[in-house]
Amino acid sequence: MAIAEQKLTSVSPATASSGSFPWRTWLATVDHKKIGIIYIVSAFVFFLLGGIEAMLMRVQLGTPNNTFLSADVYNQLFTMHATTMIFLMVMPMNVGIGNYVVPLMIGARDMAFPRLNALSIWLFLGGGLLLYLSFLTGGAPNGGWFAYAPLTQVQYSPTAGMDYWILGLGLTGIASIAGALNFIVTVLNMRAPGMSINRMPLFVWMNLVVSFIIIFAFPTFTVGSIQLLFDRQFGAAFFNPAQGGDAVLWQHLFWFFGHPEVYILILPVMGMISEILPVFSRKPIFGYSFVAFSGVGIGFLGFIVWAHHMFGVGMGPMANAFFAAASMVIAIPTGVKIFNWIATMWAGDVRLTTAMLYAIGFISMFIIGGISGITLASPPIDLQQTDTYYVVAHLHYVLFGGSILGLFAGAFYWFPKMTGRLLNERIGKIQFWLMMISFNITFFPMHIVGTEGMPRRIYTYEAGMGWDMWNFIETIGTFLLAFSVLIFIYNVLSSLRNGEVASNDPWDAATLEWTIPSPPPSYNFLHIPVVNSRRPLWDAKYPHAAGDDHHGPSSAPSQVRYEYTDEETEGAKDIHMPSLTFSPMIFSGGLTVASLGFIYINKDILGLPTRVAALGFILIGIVMVSIAIRGWILDSRKDSPYLSQHH
Amino acid sequence: MRKEARKSTIPLLVLVLSCAAMLAGCANLPATTLYTYGDHATRVLDLLTPVFWMAVGVFVIVQGALVYTVIRFRSKQASAPVPTQIHGNTKIEIIWTIAPAFILLVIAVMTFRTQAANSYQPPEAMKIRAIAHQWWFEFQYDDGKIVTASDLYIPVGQSVQIQLEAADVMHNFWIPKLAGKTYMIPGKTNYLAFKATESGIFRAFCAEFCGESHGNMRFRVIALDPAEFAQWKTNYATTPAATNGTAQALGLTGDAARGAAIFADPKKQCAACHIIEGTTAKGKIGPNLTHYGNRLTIAAGVLPYTTDNLANWLHDPASIKPGNLMGRVIKKGMLKDQEVADLVAYLDGMKFAVNMPAEK
Repeated sequence: MAIAEQKLTSVSPATASSGSFPWRTWLATVDHKKIGIIYIVSAFVFFLLGGIEAMLMRVQLGTPNNTFLSADVYNQLFTMHATTMIFLMVMPMNVGIGNYVVPLMIGARDMAFPRLNALSIWLFLGGGLLLYLSFLTGGAPNGGWFAYAPLTQVQYSPTAGMDYWILGLGLTGIASIAGALNFIVTVLNMRAPGMSINRMPLFVWMNLVVSFIIIFAFPTFTVGSIQLLFDRQFGAAFFNPAQGGDAVLWQHLFWFFGHPEVYILILPVMGMISEILPVFSRKPIFGYSFVAFSGVGIGFLGFIVWAHHMFGVGMGPMANAFFAAASMVIAIPTGVKIFNWIATMWAGDVRLTTAMLYAIGFISMFIIGGISGITLASPPIDLQQTDTYYVVAHLHYVLFGGSILGLFAGAFYWFPKMTGRLLNERIGKIQFWLMMISFNITFFPMHIVGTEGMPRRIYTYEAGMGWDMWNFIETIGTFLLAFSVLIFIYNVLSSLRNGEVASNDPWDAATLEWTIPSPPPSYNFLHIPVVNSRRPLWDAKYPHAAGDDHHGPSSAPSQVRYEYTDEETEGAKDIHMPSLTFSPMIFSGGLTVASLGFIYINKDILGLPTRVAALGFILIGIVMVSIAIRGWILDSRKDSPYLSQHH
Repeated sequence: MRKEARKSTIPLLVLVLSCAAMLAGCANLPATTLYTYGDHATRVLDLLTPVFWMAVGVFVIVQGALVYTVIRFRSKQASAPVPTQIHGNTKIEIIWTIAPAFILLVIAVMTFRTQAANSYQPPEAMKIRAIAHQWWFEFQYDDGKIVTASDLYIPVGQSVQIQLEAADVMHNFWIPKLAGKTYMIPGKTNYLAFKATESGIFRAFCAEFCGESHGNMRFRVIALDPAEFAQWKTNYATTPAATNGTAQALGLTGDAARGAAIFADPKKQCAACHIIEGTTAKGKIGPNLTHYGNRLTIAAGVLPYTTDNLANWLHDPASIKPGNLMGRVIKKGMLKDQEVADLVAYLDGMKFAVNMPAEK
């Protein structure tokens, strides 16, 4: 496709946002920025759905012996709330921001495999839609996001809900693995000249670490859930003790994935924080290597702590002691990060923009979540606290107080780059304070009711246990929290139209994405920059302040440019970018349709017609995938052999 | 001025609120883990207390450093000079890597000591078998000679070892004031040993999500003085005498003898699922109902034991405990009001005196 239809310097946000929705350039896109935005928008929609599920549950728990929701609906809601927030909200939001920002930060024109990238987004959406389709077809998954056997065997969970869960997450899992491989190749191969590994921005570092975690952790989950699917559909009995299977095996497979998953959710956000704090402190990150390698350390340690989710299953005191020690060790690199972030602000010129407030809020809440995690790492204490609301408090302090506050920091920070307009700072700060306060009103009392013995995942509780008041307060907090999200939506919608127009570099930042227009042209960089330091843009702007900021043999300032002549802009026509293609979307659609067929192929609902329809879905899916593969090959020929050259 | 006032009131408010929260957290509530009456739970509390204060110390230092840094170094003017570009300091990095490691080492050593004590299974402990079902607990004493449900009687001052099993899905055995949790897993046997140090009635729960009525799966632990406990066991092992009394339920007077006949009637299906010693009822699917009148709760901890609650349960079990097996057999309206009253009189009549301790 001829990219140069758009002119580099003349793309103003006003013209970009006016006119009809160019649906084809979005649905068939292979541009990492558009794909990133589709990820972000769909993850946000799932965030709202997960939030609505949470509010329904909080209404039910607001008073004792409440009958607002039935037990079964409540169980579906808490299963879908966790599944949504983990797999359909925080993960894809991280991936979306990473998709948009990582190639820009390393001075690349796209991801290494643009069509694979498009496949990932559509597979993710297919999986998410499949999961939500279950609400309309006889019951959502109801076995918990951890899907413990044998409760998830077909005799205890006879609706198709868990089948939707397995296949829906199977699709998003393929998306994640493909995306992770794409990130690894992109980061390792496509960095601008001079950007050695030890000059990469920390956000890129954390995305690299997380991508490796994904390719090691997700296959375990995929294999385990396929075994579970075989148990349910064909009586394979991997996890069914009644037939000689082992229910604890599922827990090992699940948590071998499930604990690294926690770091998949938090590390990219820690990378964002490590970008934002230095910019608004006007200082470099304190202890770059320590921050980067503590992330790597967390990535490794994340794989040897899984059984701390299983202290109560009877592994024996020696095994418990090992996993307890490993879990405590992981607090050390986490602590190192927190200390380095505080030291980054120390003696800085700390500018309390909304993005910065969220970044500080992240650290503040993550401290609480980290400390409450220490008691859970100690098996004797854990056995009192696990499966109570104390854990619900802990996990929301790290995943909401951590990941989601950090994502809001990232949203305020990169929104101008993505849209060309700044979010309203005043509204943003109001929203920040409301969110911080209501978050604590919602989740802090959960530490107390958990300690007072309130188990998790109960759809109701009796009066007189001393839990009533705290539960009522938590429910009020949830509504305030929801209101703060509404304020954010208002801010986004109004700022898209009327927000202050963003320059290339509205925050006086340091990394390469701020050298190019906001929003960037499709090819990102007219000239690929040459990098000579960790903060190429900062050093170009402040050559005298840079001082000792050069890492590598050359001390020449990095070559980054804002302004281009018209002649150079004309040259953008010659930049070769991959063409639009519907193949990835058709491929994903085919897999989604076939998955729907697999769910019903062995179900006794309505007898033969269901099975025939299911077989039909599978065949349609296979045909779609075949068409897509053919199209994909033709696309590759069209763009070959100089696909996405970056300089 | 206004800004200054706001700055000083917010921390004060936070302090007051957290004190209030902590005080409220320290009340002796029915299921709190902070008032313990068993050696297992007490050792956990003795570990938690120092760890908690260490955590408070770490919180104050780190959160304080964060807040202090932000307040002290926040930008005071738009055109402030570029601050000195400090890139790091290896010595400081090493210090703040080792300092938390040292704290964690202390916590780890304390943890392992407590864990060793709590996982020890005293050979002299009295053995009780607990089997979890969707959604109730079965308890067996003396190799299955005594079978009961929902109320776990134990002696005070003597170690008991619970042999934990599950009949269907995973469950989790938890008595907050006596002992931490242990999973009950189909196909696997776990053991939990603990000793009640005071007599009392204690709340207990299934703590692992186990399906639709997981929220309705509770039980009570009754710790009796050893002599009382021995008496309870003797009485329980005695086959209940045929009852002829009456009882009031929902305004009707039930007749125990008629109730016994209804219970034994194959058309009513009670005896297909339940055992009552000394009768023809030999069903093994539901809980053993021998000496049912001694139960403290109905439907595994969901309702307090009253004849009215029992009658409501018999009318429509599914409305009280969604998804439960009995509700699939006994639908609303299947039993006439008088039949329910008779059954209540029969079940309520099977009891013996126990010197019940107070709820703790």
